[in-house]
Amino acid sequence: MSDSYVIVGDGIAGASAAETLREEAPDAEITVITEEGESLYNRILIKEFAKGKLPEAPISIHDESWYDDHDVDLRLNTLVVDVDVENDAIRTHEGETIEYDSLLLAIGGTPQQLPVENADAEGVHHFWTFQDARKIKESVEDADRGVIVGAGLLGIDFAAICGAQDVEAKYLMRGDSWWRYALSNEGAEIMHEAMRERGVEPVFGSGVDHFEVDDDGHVEAAVDPNGERYECDFAGVAIGLDFNTEILEDTPLETDDGIVVDEYMRTNVDNVFAAGDITEFYDTILGERAQNGAWGSAKEQGTIAAHNMIDHGSEPFEWVSSYSITHFDFPFLSFGHPTLGDDSVEATTDEGEWRRVALKDGRVIGGVLIGDLSPQSAFKQLMREKRDVSGQRELLMEPGFSVDDLVASTEH
Amino acid sequence: MAFREEGRQMRLRRTGSVPPDARVRHYDELAEASQVAVAELADRPRTAPESADLEDGDVVKFTDYYRIRAR
Repeated sequence: MSDSYVIVGDGIAGASAAETLREEAPDAEITVITEEGESLYNRILIKEFAKGKLPEAPISIHDESWYDDHDVDLRLNTLVVDVDVENDAIRTHEGETIEYDSLLLAIGGTPQQLPVENADAEGVHHFWTFQDARKIKESVEDADRGVIVGAGLLGIDFAAICGAQDVEAKYLMRGDSWWRYALSNEGAEIMHEAMRERGVEPVFGSGVDHFEVDDDGHVEAAVDPNGERYECDFAGVAIGLDFNTEILEDTPLETDDGIVVDEYMRTNVDNVFAAGDITEFYDTILGERAQNGAWGSAKEQGTIAAHNMIDHGSEPFEWVSSYSITHFDFPFLSFGHPTLGDDSVEATTDEGEWRRVALKDGRVIGGVLIGDLSPQSAFKQLMREKRDVSGQRELLMEPGFSVDDLVASTEH
Repeated sequence: MAFREEGRQMRLRRTGSVPPDARVRHYDELAEASQVAVAELADRPRTAPESADLEDGDVVKFTDYYRIRAR
């Protein structure tokens, strides 16, 4: 009898696992379950669709025939309501029980709602799925004024969408700059200026105390904690994700913010694995547990999980992730863990070019590049090699920096 | 299975519209070597060896939409 693999989630983590399992285990039974109504699409391009820059067609990655062609049983619109690890089975919302030899949970997260009055009003949007993107596009095309909340990598997508759709917007931030955990004011100001050029005004020391709605329940204003009122007919909220661990609460699976896995993507239950942004994985480069929501990381985790579902211990997850912002006429790239570390070094290297590198115990663990991405490979190499750059950190800020510029004896 | 010609050079050209049948890749999907090449070639009259994960006709979303020409 062939092995049976069940994958919950058809994002890039689940789909790359399915692809790898089919390649490595040609006779296996593979089932992919997703609560979404469509198969794998390109989640990092849906913001371009919402901006009105890209049609729907190129965003699809796997149409349903892909699953037939690869003998994968795809279940759309199917919610998993119970995971029974004692009996190696899951149950769906329709009462069906599906048994497995090995299970992969690639169940991602759900955008958090602001805990304020009228946070669920018509016209207040969260952004995670393609269906969200369709609603946002429809809504923003009819809007004149917008409000954006969430000063991070997801919130800036809303800013870009408003800018591209000619919606005059206020970007309400609690602190004094965008993504203040990874950028200094100097770096953030480059991003603020780019927003302003697109008609999106950053408002600092702000946020949302409550939304006001019209008689039809549609948002018409956001009021910040200072009592300032910002009229809007569109609001985008991107304050973070709640990871979908609630179905695991009655199981012995270890969870924290996400599902805890080792570097082989295995949970504390031998035949249950997890992949994608829901994992709290052991990061062998960082030397501690980490989470990462980047596309490349999720894809690699799915592939690694599949290898280890077939042969545990065969391949660890060792990856330096990166995440770019491509909304502006200059590039932006964050890599590794730019919000962590015990030290950092930063510099403006040219007009409109800024970089910051985060360090931990003298080693590079992440950073941000604005304008000039040329050092990205060198910094990622330093991370992978766990090079100690103590005493040479200023060299990292030199234009044209190369790993060869460092004294060789610092290699571990 | 399609075979690729070896030794081709690629360049990037800005494109104002994206055909519905084009393969569109976001910068973050590309392998690190391709990312480096795209950042180097965008808006510059330069060529580089064709990347393994990019093909002639692909559209890449970077700071704008760029069409890959590989010859």
